[in-house]
Amino acid sequence: MKITIKLFATFRQDRFKVEDRDVAPGTTVADVLKSLDIDEAEVGTLFVRGRHVEPDRVLEDGEALAVFPLVGGG
Amino acid sequence: MLTSEETERYARHIVLRDVGGPGQQKMKAARVLVVGAGGLGSPVLQYLAAAGIGTIGIADDDRVSLSNLQRQVVHRTADIGRLKVESAADAIARLNPHVVVEPHALRLDAGNVAAVVAGYDVVVDGVDDWDTRFVVADACEAARVPLVSAGVLTFYGWVSVLKPWEIGADGIAHPAIRHVLRRPRDGRLQTCAEVGILGVVPGVVGTLAATEVLKLVTGVGEPLVRRLLNVDLHDASFDVVDYERDPDEEASP
Repeated sequence: MKITIKLFATFRQDRFKVEDRDVAPGTTVADVLKSLDIDEAEVGTLFVRGRHVEPDRVLEDGEALAVFPLVGGG
Repeated sequence: MLTSEETERYARHIVLRDVGGPGQQKMKAARVLVVGAGGLGSPVLQYLAAAGIGTIGIADDDRVSLSNLQRQVVHRTADIGRLKVESAADAIARLNPHVVVEPHALRLDAGNVAAVVAGYDVVVDGVDDWDTRFVVADACEAARVPLVSAGVLTFYGWVSVLKPWEIGADGIAHPAIRHVLRRPRDGRLQTCAEVGILGVVPGVVGTLAATEVLKLVTGVGEPLVRRLLNVDLHDASFDVVDYERDPDEEASP
């Protein structure tokens, strides 16, 4: 199945902004993060269909996952 | 009422369609709390003061250090070692003597936040500390005070507006902080001290946050409710990500 991954802020460095991927059915958000070498502890926001999700969320065909790092103040 | 001096000072607002005299009166009557007088707080404080926000509260327990000055433009070299709330209050007084400043030289926590937030019309948060961000957001939700939340790191930043007690056109309440950000657990917050920040980034993002405050105060435009504005100054691109509360969610954790 196809999913779209959107990365934001520092997660874009050495990766990408948007990428479509073919993944196996049953793939979770955590699986995607692992494949991107993103440490869950550094994640501030995970959205699927514009809604906050946890890493154990199973992705469905056609869904877009948005991943934001913990970004502090200045 | 605006004095003749104020009418001249704010002339460009007063001729501005949608703001005008009534909008300027709303700014004068408004009470805004700025949490953090650092990189994000600097442009927020300066633009809110210049715009004529009547009362500005500043909450920060930190003191000005030399390494702040590359981006925290409300403070000067001569302010090193001073409390940021005092340094920022002086800057505001120089900029616009009509503004009343309420300094809160403390770190907001679960014990003191409700008393500080009470009585403000809008709160802006640009803090470097995840716990404080949630403490402030929860207090704003409980007190039904709109929160403009912003963050910055390296070349990036984001801004959003939270009004979680309000019901949207779809009959669902607007999202709260927990619908945008993960609660602090073992999260590793990268800080500007660790990974750096281009000095102008909080200037851009803080100015966007200040814009949201002025919109909320005057009722002009569409605030960033249910929308996360992402600023990527590395590639010079802006993205707006829509988000919402899950209507099936259980009661607040």
